[in-house]
Amino acid sequence: MSVLTRADAEDLLYREAHALDTGDWDAWLALYAPDALFWMPAWRDETTPTSDPESELSLIYYRGKRNLEDRVWRVRSGLSVASTPLPRVVHGVTNVQVLRADAASADVRASFTVHIFDRRSERSHVFFGRYSYRLQCDAEGWRIAAKTILLLNDTIPTVVDFYAV
Amino acid sequence: MQRDRLAELIDDRPGDGVFRVSRAIFDDAAVFELEMARIFEAGWVFLGLAAQAPAPHDFFTTTIGRVPVLVSRDGDGALVGLVNSCPHKGSRVAQTLQGNARLHVCPYHSWSFDSAGRNKAIKWKAAGCFAEGFQSDDHDLPRLPAFGEYRGFVFGSLSAAVPSLGDHLGEVTKLLDLVADQSAEGIELVPGRVTFTYDANWKLQLENCSDAYHFTSAHPSYIRILEQRQQSADAGVVKSIWEESDYWREDAKGVAGGSYSFDHGHVLNWGRFGITEALPLYESAAVLGARHGAAKRDWMFNMRNLTVFPNLQIAENASSQLRVIRPLAAGRTEMQTWCIAPKGESAAARRQRIRQYEDFFNPSGMATPDDTVSYENCQRGFASRVQPWLQGYARGMAASVAGGNVFSDGLGMTPARSVLADAQLCDETLYHSYYREWARRMMQVPA
Repeated sequence: MSVLTRADAEDLLYREAHALDTGDWDAWLALYAPDALFWMPAWRDETTPTSDPESELSLIYYRGKRNLEDRVWRVRSGLSVASTPLPRVVHGVTNVQVLRADAASADVRASFTVHIFDRRSERSHVFFGRYSYRLQCDAEGWRIAAKTILLLNDTIPTVVDFYAV
Repeated sequence: MQRDRLAELIDDRPGDGVFRVSRAIFDDAAVFELEMARIFEAGWVFLGLAAQAPAPHDFFTTTIGRVPVLVSRDGDGALVGLVNSCPHKGSRVAQTLQGNARLHVCPYHSWSFDSAGRNKAIKWKAAGCFAEGFQSDDHDLPRLPAFGEYRGFVFGSLSAAVPSLGDHLGEVTKLLDLVADQSAEGIELVPGRVTFTYDANWKLQLENCSDAYHFTSAHPSYIRILEQRQQSADAGVVKSIWEESDYWREDAKGVAGGSYSFDHGHVLNWGRFGITEALPLYESAAVLGARHGAAKRDWMFNMRNLTVFPNLQIAENASSQLRVIRPLAAGRTEMQTWCIAPKGESAAARRQRIRQYEDFFNPSGMATPDDTVSYENCQRGFASRVQPWLQGYARGMAASVAGGNVFSDGLGMTPARSVLADAQLCDETLYHSYYREWARRMMQVPA
């Protein structure tokens, strides 16, 4: 494989956004490596997010795609009132930059806004923040080895789930 | 609001076996205003942990009802509770959630206060041409009329006409001891606070913490995932206490737990977990047994959901959570939540506690959203007055007895009432304690 370009990175990030927006959970999971890290830090105070998931609280912290499969199972199960019916979402992914890249891996950052409309509660909301990705190239092509979601507006209106950030 | 109208909102007739609550207590704006004045702004309210301001000049900010509060450790190391509002024009003085400041300078006109709240300077005072009366005014940040600490749990009141903190807490101090004594070094909040709101009344959170009945109904997705994880050989999945315990399962036999009700609106519901390595405290089981005796140690390992009326909840079940309930309106509530943990636990235990916490307690987890969305569904339903009385306060009425039982005896604790329960009893009489205190306070005109 060749070195990841910004166009490659954008393509992958937009595919992830579309999979989450349309509830194509299998396509979403296929973007993650088996031992992928999925991390949304919490905030220590107004200005400092938590940085050590071993000793500080995160909003979401999973190492291993198996945990993401659990989250997908839950929203599909019909057994979670918070997930049934799912709100409608659209991800806007912008400011994509490749910070470092070689043929095997790359570090990418981007900004996001996620618009959410929950018909049941008649409530609209926008979550926004920054993504940091570690991408890796294996036999399956470029996949996500690690994704960090820095949620900037972290006073959560009732629910925030993996599909809304 | 008229006293007779208030009396119509709680139908408490023990002699007739009736306890009912009107839907109006959850969605009536006039009730909410009175709750702010008579419950939150006229009585003891939990403010935070002393561990949030450990060193001289450390501070944190919070609210009592609608009033901004500053809790500061002064230069001598004493904790003080202050109204966080400048005497000059009313501005909040401390602007941040926490910090360290020898001097708090009001950002509006630069009046300054030391870490004990004493006024240190009024800008250009000499040139101010003040009349004599001003010179004799108190220019300090006002001290909270009542302020106190029990084993690191800090409380304050905007009214001096309150019982002593010891009287307010009563026997519940023994349940706070179960938290505080998990380490000889005391307790702390794990860095990282999580704040969420929900569009429903604050008392829904008050009740849900004490509600054993909802667990298998509201959280089947979480429970099924735990079952799947139990069968998984994958070491990377997040393990939880619920897989290791069966007290909550429908087919569990025998005494599985129960509830205790206390004076002043405090309640506990509890279940038997046993001493299992699924709990991060497991590494300390032997030490805690030697230090506190087997009975108290075993209680530390029980599932315990404690409410200290009106705004503090400590839930020790899937992990350990400290919650502060902040009512914003009749139909809107903010929750401040932290992982509370014994100081000095091993890195492995802390990691396990944090991972269990995130999955269960966070608004980004797999359980709490199914609670808060249910609160919002209730809030919608409360609009009805076709059948104004709710029927959710009746389970356990034939099982509730005065005083304690063999389990509370083990702690030397005497609750006002208690219920021993199997898995399916799911006592609802513990809510009576909330609403008896609620009614008493609401009908009491503050001095």
